[in-house]
Amino acid sequence: MIILTKIKSINWQGIRENKLYKRFASLKTSCIFLGILIGFYIIGAIFPQDAVLDDYIKSGGGFTSFVIFFDLLNVFNTPGFLIAASLLSINLTICAFEIFLILRSQSKTVSEGLQFTPQFTFPLDINTQLEDAGEIVKEIFKKEMGFTEKTFTCQEINIMEKGWSYRWLTWGYHLAILFCLFGFFMTYIFAFEDEITLYPGEAATIKPAATNRWNKSWGNKPQELDFKLILDEFITEYNQFPKLDYPADKLSRLAIAMGWKDPKYLLKEESYAPKDWKSRLKIIKGNQVVLEKTIEVNDPLSYQGITFYQAAYKQILKVQIDDNPISFETETDHELIIPGIDGMLKFGAIRTGTLFKKDGGTEKIKTFTEAALIRKDKSGKTEIEKLGKLEHDGSLYIDDKRISIREFKEASVLSYRYDPGVPILWWSGVTLLIAMALRVFGAWYRIIYRLEEKDGMPHLLLKIKTRGIMADEERLIKRLKHSLEKWAEPIDLDEPV
Amino acid sequence: MSNLETILSRDSYILAVEIRLFWLVALIYGVCLILYLIHLATKKTGPGRMGTNMLWLGVITHAGLILLRTFEGQRAPFQTLYESLSWFAWSTSIAYLYVERRWEDIYLPGILVTALSMGACLYALLTRSPAVEPLSPPLQSYWFEWHVALAFLSYAVFVVSCSIEIVYLTIKPSVKKGLRPEYGLNTNNLETFHRQSFRLALFGFPLLTFGIFSGAAWANEAWGRYWGWDPKETWSLITWTVFAIYLHSMSIPRWKGIPASTFNILGFICMLMTFIGVNWLARLLGIPSLHLYAM
Repeated sequence: MIILTKIKSINWQGIRENKLYKRFASLKTSCIFLGILIGFYIIGAIFPQDAVLDDYIKSGGGFTSFVIFFDLLNVFNTPGFLIAASLLSINLTICAFEIFLILRSQSKTVSEGLQFTPQFTFPLDINTQLEDAGEIVKEIFKKEMGFTEKTFTCQEINIMEKGWSYRWLTWGYHLAILFCLFGFFMTYIFAFEDEITLYPGEAATIKPAATNRWNKSWGNKPQELDFKLILDEFITEYNQFPKLDYPADKLSRLAIAMGWKDPKYLLKEESYAPKDWKSRLKIIKGNQVVLEKTIEVNDPLSYQGITFYQAAYKQILKVQIDDNPISFETETDHELIIPGIDGMLKFGAIRTGTLFKKDGGTEKIKTFTEAALIRKDKSGKTEIEKLGKLEHDGSLYIDDKRISIREFKEASVLSYRYDPGVPILWWSGVTLLIAMALRVFGAWYRIIYRLEEKDGMPHLLLKIKTRGIMADEERLIKRLKHSLEKWAEPIDLDEPV
Repeated sequence: MSNLETILSRDSYILAVEIRLFWLVALIYGVCLILYLIHLATKKTGPGRMGTNMLWLGVITHAGLILLRTFEGQRAPFQTLYESLSWFAWSTSIAYLYVERRWEDIYLPGILVTALSMGACLYALLTRSPAVEPLSPPLQSYWFEWHVALAFLSYAVFVVSCSIEIVYLTIKPSVKKGLRPEYGLNTNNLETFHRQSFRLALFGFPLLTFGIFSGAAWANEAWGRYWGWDPKETWSLITWTVFAIYLHSMSIPRWKGIPASTFNILGFICMLMTFIGVNWLARLLGIPSLHLYAM
């Protein structure tokens, strides 16, 4: 009650007349804030965001002292950006509030300039008094053309409108942008994400390593979730992708254009293009399976506000040398040092699962990987020697040593995320798009008209205002002319003039 | 010959036809550009009219080429940069022809449009691989067609809007002197002609908004986050913001003239950065991008 009384006692009118408030209610201020944000966006597009400084320096990144001082690798979390975004939000809130007050005051009575300068004049061949003609014109606009009458302070002038009010639509999508900003804020404060790696048959409890900003600021630690996740099966599918024999140099490409050479698809060095990765997941609460779903990229699983996404996969190989019972474990695309072999071995992604062939057929892939030997010469230059395909039950020889795959394991890497900002963003985004589309692509008309008697005949003096791409002034005039013609009295040829 | 070999030889043949057709389209756009340049140099309407007729021929041939590509890939024809460049050239040209049909003897905006269309075709033909690739898992989404098609439609109208803006700014001083009509423009139709630029930007803005929104919704499904400040995302936001400033500046009386026009041209430059420049910049600066499949 005390708060309410205090709010009521605030001099709102005084605030609205304040200079700073007026500046914040201006369109120019919006443009200036948007301009400042563009500056931050450009910096964020040039400097890799969320990159580690050491990696940035190693990859040849410059302006290091500037990068450190202004925190340019994390520019969207800097106070400067957050202040600019907050100021834009305040500006948008004030503008939306002010526009709302104006629109509310105009909801019944429209404001139009006192000066009425007609664009069109139509003689009304209706042969009635001015007042009756006025009723007929009103009927044409209302019943035949679908206009709604608006109250206007000046009695002689009539105002009618048709279509969704562009002003309310404009206000609507600006309000939706404000809600979008609120959604971003919710994400910024409350969202958290992490990754989990699951092997088939493995059940795992989920304990995020990271927590959201809100909990972090209060010193709260991440909580373990009250359910378990099991990966029943991990499925990989590939498309047969033939290599295209096509030149890289421009002259040879011109030769193809002239028909002197032809491009050719070859199956000799075909590659396996990933078609899909799927994880068959189960969620267990207590001892019960509460949810089951096969997820893939673009089709995640959601449970208790947490969404699990198919992010990647991890492959582990056990490599055997000759008949040695001790095997070496390595991850694909990682370097492996084996005693007695000059250089490092590297195994590419393991191809396993189903292959979808060009001819429409499918086949089970005989599991294989591509092996390579990496050597450094005396000058420190790296040489990569392709060793070829290594199948699951096959072998390769390097320096008289037989290398074979003893075992391989494939895990599904899932990312998971809690983000309460998403539903807000989704609904405000849809509202924004609908309101904006109606405003821009729709049609809104306002007609301002007056009847006047000239040369003993009533005349319609008309002014038209339109908004929206679909609004067609010419079509409106044509329809009006047609309707007026229908009302015109037929000439009695027997009556002497 | 096995079934697979027959398929590959058929695909190779279709690709050969498609590449040659693409060269022909690039050539037609080039001829249109020359005709528009002759119109610029001679101020005669004949070459301009011929340029527009040729452009119709180019657009129709290009539409056939895009249909062929769709048949080849059995999917929407804008997965790789090679395909996107082709789609961009076509959509820009057709957007221009649609807008131009109401004008009488105004052909100058065609210079920028055909230069960009030809440039996009040559860039694709000379530097990119024309191989028809299967859709990678992240692209297998219902958002794919809508996101790309509408974003490119917005790019197309922004190109036409910018070309009108440039023509207006160049021709305005001499027309305002009122000496004589130039290139189909006179004191009576100059402002109406210029207004088309604003209307086009207004038309493209919701499409770009949808492009960004659908991209965010798609990223949320595929990568688990709707916004990752990826360079491509950031540049699309820059483009959106610049056009937002442009549209707002048209309501500010003091900004309505040159400042607003500058924002429109800047928006076009940012649009080009979003489409092509960001890939180049990402490679130049070694910035990793999630949109690298489109490079």
